Amino acid sequence: MPLSLAVLLLVLAVTAVIAALGCLIDKSAERDERNQGR
Amino acid sequence: MIALGLFLTSLASKSDDLKRASLVIFVLIGLLTIPTYVSGNSAAESICAGGPKAPACDDAALSKALIETHEGVALLAFAAIVLTAAFAWLGLWQFRRISHPQNWTLAVILLLALFALILVVRAANIGGEIRHPEIREAREIITPNVHFARRIGAFVLSRPWGWPSLETLHFIGLSLLIGVILLIDLRMLGVMKNVGFPAIHRLLPWAMLGYGTNLVSGMLFFVASPEQYAHNVAFVWKLILMMLAGANALYFTVFDEAWILQPGDEAPLSAKAVAVSAIVLWVGVLYFGSMLPFIGNSF
Repeated sequence: MPLSLAVLLLVLAVTAVIAALGCLIDKSAERDERNQGR
Repeated sequence: MIALGLFLTSLASKSDDLKRASLVIFVLIGLLTIPTYVSGNSAAESICAGGPKAPACDDAALSKALIETHEGVALLAFAAIVLTAAFAWLGLWQFRRISHPQNWTLAVILLLALFALILVVRAANIGGEIRHPEIREAREIITPNVHFARRIGAFVLSRPWGWPSLETLHFIGLSLLIGVILLIDLRMLGVMKNVGFPAIHRLLPWAMLGYGTNLVSGMLFFVASPEQYAHNVAFVWKLILMMLAGANALYFTVFDEAWILQPGDEAPLSAKAVAVSAIVLWVGVLYFGSMLPFIGNSF
């Protein structure tokens, strides 16, 4: 596998994990805020 | 230990103020851990020429294996403390949004803090043995050689994709961090006044994920090649400004002045001053980061 492709795949994978974590924290807080509002 | 004691007391007494105070202390300890870990490599190079990478120390009383073991355990302790600080910050953010941290956050903080304490005690014990052969002789047999940091460093350097991947992630983390921080600071300075602060506050975890990404990638650079950074004046300034900027971000998480800003509200002078200082600090971090090879001796 060419070096540039390996770097791209690794970076995309880590970025996807970061994005998933961000969404998880955000959704979790949104759910709790909604529950608190009830 | 003080932060953990305070945290346990807050859990037992169910005091939100104590809880908030202990979480702030955890975050500040996390920031202070960065120079503490980094200074270990400078100390290693001072007492043993070539640092952990030297084949052996000139002074026969010093154990090179113990220096490497101490470095490895210290790296694990550093990771545990920084993770504790990251979850403590998340707890503070949740305090703001839902007026109490979620239970799973508190459980993770407790476990990580206990784990970090054990690792710090272990690293301190091994650190003490480096210069004291009299206690070392009795213990050397039971002290395992955990050259963890050296193995991680060798891994990063030996893989052709290691360094370029970390560089790319460092830039992604930087964009995430600076993007969100600038949004907050510009709102404080009067841009996008029609947006209330709670809406922007919701983006803060993304900035912290960027900070975390850069801390991990940056530390991997350091562990892989400490000699490029340990005596680099640009790196020292970058660390100082990074810690101050991290502490600065606490203002927007903990204090009320920014939180109460509704759409159309003008930020108070103190919030504006913090916003200006944040921009100056982050520009400083960017400047010294890119000047590492020019002011200092990297690369």
